[in-house]
Amino acid sequence: MNSQHSDTFEPRITAFVCNWCTYTGADLAGTSRLHMASNVRIIRLPCTGRIDPLFIVKAFERGADGVIVSGCHPADCHYTSGNYHARRRFAVFHDIMQFLGVDPRRMTFSWVSASEGAKWKDVVNETVANIRELGPYEAYRALAPDAVEPWPEAVDGLTPAGDQEPAAKEVAS
Amino acid sequence: MTGPAIAPAYAGVDELRRVARELLESGEVRVIIGWEDARRGARPVFITDPAEADKLIFDTRCVHNLVTYLDPRRDHVSELGRIGLVVKGCDAKAVAGLLRESQLSRDHVVLIGMRCGGVLEEGELPEPLALTPENVAPRCYGCDNREPTLTDHLLGEPQPEPPRPVMTIDERVAALDDLPLEERWAFWTEQFSKCVRCYACRQVCPLCICERCIVEKTQPLWIESAAHPRGNFSWNLTRAIHLAGRCVDCGECERFCPVGIPLSLLNRKLQQIVHDRYGYTASDDPENAAPIGDYRLDDQQEFIK
Amino acid sequence: MSERFFISETDLRGLTADLLDGGTEVIAPVATDICQSPSAVAATACTLDGSKVEIDYRQLTSADDLDLSRGLPQLSLKEFFLPEHEPLCRWRQKGTTVQVFEVPTEFAPRVVLAAKPCDAAALAVVDKVMNWDYEDELWNGRRAATTVINLACQVIDDSCFCTAVGAAPDDVKGADGLLTPVEGGYVYEPATDKGRALVEDFAARFSADVPADTIGGQADDERAAARARVADNLEIDADSVRDWIEANFEDPLLTHLAMRCNGCGACTGVCPTCHCFDIVDEQEGVGHGTRRRLWDTCQAPTFTLHASGHNPRDTQHVRYRQRINHKFSIYPLRFGEVLCTGCGRCTRVCHAGQDLVEILEAIDIAARRPRDAEPAEAAS
Ligand code: SF4
Ligand code: SF4
Ligand code: SF4
Ligand code: SF4
Ligand code: SF4
Repeated sequence: MNSQHSDTFEPRITAFVCNWCTYTGADLAGTSRLHMASNVRIIRLPCTGRIDPLFIVKAFERGADGVIVSGCHPADCHYTSGNYHARRRFAVFHDIMQFLGVDPRRMTFSWVSASEGAKWKDVVNETVANIRELGPYEAYRALAPDAVEPWPEAVDGLTPAGDQEPAAKEVAS
Repeated sequence: MTGPAIAPAYAGVDELRRVARELLESGEVRVIIGWEDARRGARPVFITDPAEADKLIFDTRCVHNLVTYLDPRRDHVSELGRIGLVVKGCDAKAVAGLLRESQLSRDHVVLIGMRCGGVLEEGELPEPLALTPENVAPRCYGCDNREPTLTDHLLGEPQPEPPRPVMTIDERVAALDDLPLEERWAFWTEQFSKCVRCYACRQVCPLCICERCIVEKTQPLWIESAAHPRGNFSWNLTRAIHLAGRCVDCGECERFCPVGIPLSLLNRKLQQIVHDRYGYTASDDPENAAPIGDYRLDDQQEFIK
Repeated sequence: MSERFFISETDLRGLTADLLDGGTEVIAPVATDICQSPSAVAATACTLDGSKVEIDYRQLTSADDLDLSRGLPQLSLKEFFLPEHEPLCRWRQKGTTVQVFEVPTEFAPRVVLAAKPCDAAALAVVDKVMNWDYEDELWNGRRAATTVINLACQVIDDSCFCTAVGAAPDDVKGADGLLTPVEGGYVYEPATDKGRALVEDFAARFSADVPADTIGGQADDERAAARARVADNLEIDADSVRDWIEANFEDPLLTHLAMRCNGCGACTGVCPTCHCFDIVDEQEGVGHGTRRRLWDTCQAPTFTLHASGHNPRDTQHVRYRQRINHKFSIYPLRFGEVLCTGCGRCTRVCHAGQDLVEILEAIDIAARRPRDAEPAEAAS
């Protein structure tokens, strides 16, 4: 959309990954000191089969500009078939989101095994590049309920809401 | 209270009344659920007295999917005892859905299938009307189950095909598909913003079977329950995908929606997706496995990196 | 006889424009052709060259949008007093420290034009519960800020029964004034100080010179005819209905009448007098969020679900009975008024065919039946 975003805008990306393959793969990418964008916050789940499409919706609601869903390759699922079930569910979700007008580039789906640190790096970098290109997900944020007064300044040690999010942690650099 | 009997538009009403009376008299069923003619048009009726079997009608106003009364959430209906249910072809697909998902015991119900030539969009009319492209329920065009097979009695005569509506559902879906992404987003967010979160779409759906719907989970609040655009998007999306590969296109959700959101477009798109990806079409064969919950090793995965 | 003024159609629109120009919010029926909206090419209600008009109460942006055709808006006026959802407060929290920020409860003045008498009457009925054991500041704040002007109703269909429950198509209950259409304009009768203030503030738009033939003539005749038309639909003895329901709560008639109800809750949503709400906390992130209230419905199983898992109204037909019981017995016993103004929306919206006219008729017949002549028996 607005490519002028690419200079100043830091995309916020949420990744839902399975414990057994992608999480370990991401860990490997880190310990191998692979260079990748630091915009991704990882949420670890037991299996792609545990990732409800609502997680993705929730991430967008809370301000994510993009989402990554990743798990074990077919035939590698720790629970035998969780990823096969997830594959159908996400295929349907992917298609219907597009029908509703969500740019499919906002959601990356990938298979990343425990040994594919390099692939994880590519998935992250490509996703971040895509989202930089698309800009912040303003369309989704515009769905927020009617604007309320801004939060009062800090009182009694409590900071105004919105500042309480922990600063983005670097996955690896 | 019931108006005078009017000429029924479809054949088989006499047989229907006879079968219903016999089922009640023999004690084979305790209640017949069918349609009657009331002050404001056709509507569901519960008949327990054989003498009242003559109230039953079957004509183009019989739009309601009565299978919703077999849904496990309808305790007050199942308490009545064994049910005789009048079904059209599309309704029979919903019975198959309940059987497929072990939500209904086949012995609990006697199915009286009616040969169907299509129904109107709305049943709230004093008299049945002949179907025209302007008034026909769009789902009836191209219906593949006008003579249900999942029945215990199949009544009526073969009927001609329903007319083609002015614009078919598939054409409307295609029209949306042709819009640029931003306009589709604008279209759906505008439609969803009308939603008042009454959940009529869920309540009436014969296949919404959960005793506790995800939207009622408030700790944590997965789907925001306030009717603001963000909560509505999440709700309408979730309702639709939870019916993916299960929806039988009976149109009840859209008909019940008090603010007129075109839910059938969303439902039809999902039917197209499961058909294109997994070759699945809703049928009244309970043995035909539903696509979600099933998988093949070689399912398409072109969208996965 | 109350004071009467004449206002021409042009002046009524002019008055609307004056209000808007002066920064007053105006709410009125607006007709929209939903097939004309640019993205509606795919709305199932529209054929390729079709049109489908829907009437809704809306906040006006231009006086031209005011629809005086007098059709019944789909949803009642209640959303402007009890919105579908509204914030009650916001909070933020860290450890055991919680800070709460309240929402304002004072509202800028606004005017409702061409309200349906059944919708305005509902406001007066609901006022009672909103000021019963707790004074609802948000409801009262909006009520105080709003001037409601009714338009006498002529679009009566087979679901209307306002006259059977103490309202009327030309009622001013809950309103501040009434417009009655006559040749070339409207007769305006203020009913409260707020209603009179409108004439004082915009004196140039009104004329004290009411055309002679409209007094005791056209306006009154049409109003009487409208009342008679509604009365044709239903006449009940609301007091006996109230007492009968209380005394015969377990009578199978009440649940038998409700078998076909799907519990969809559409009837409570469109009802101007249904006022139940739920309160939810919307977390908006870590440690902060908004507490909102939103419409709830007694037709949903979760409405009465206890934390223990027990549900005193665990089947749909008893939930439907609750709706009847609350409206026609519990509320009148407590507040002296039926919680229904006979707008008929619940009947029109019910796609399962629940028909309140028919149901009240059946209860009325049961209530009139001499108790000992016939033992209470399952209606069939
Ligand atoms: S979808 Fe088929 S079976 Fe159902 S009403 Fe239409 S024509 Fe009849
Ligand atoms: S989703 Fe709608 S069309 Fe599909 S089965 Fe349910 S009620 Fe019928
Ligand atoms: S029936 Fe319509 S308004 Fe009610 S919850 Fe469903 S989509 Fe929303
Ligand atoms: S009476 Fe009708 S509108 Fe009301 S909950 Fe029952 S089915 Fe829905
Ligand atoms: S109960 Fe029905 S008729 Fe009475 S006020 Fe509510 S919607 Fe109108």
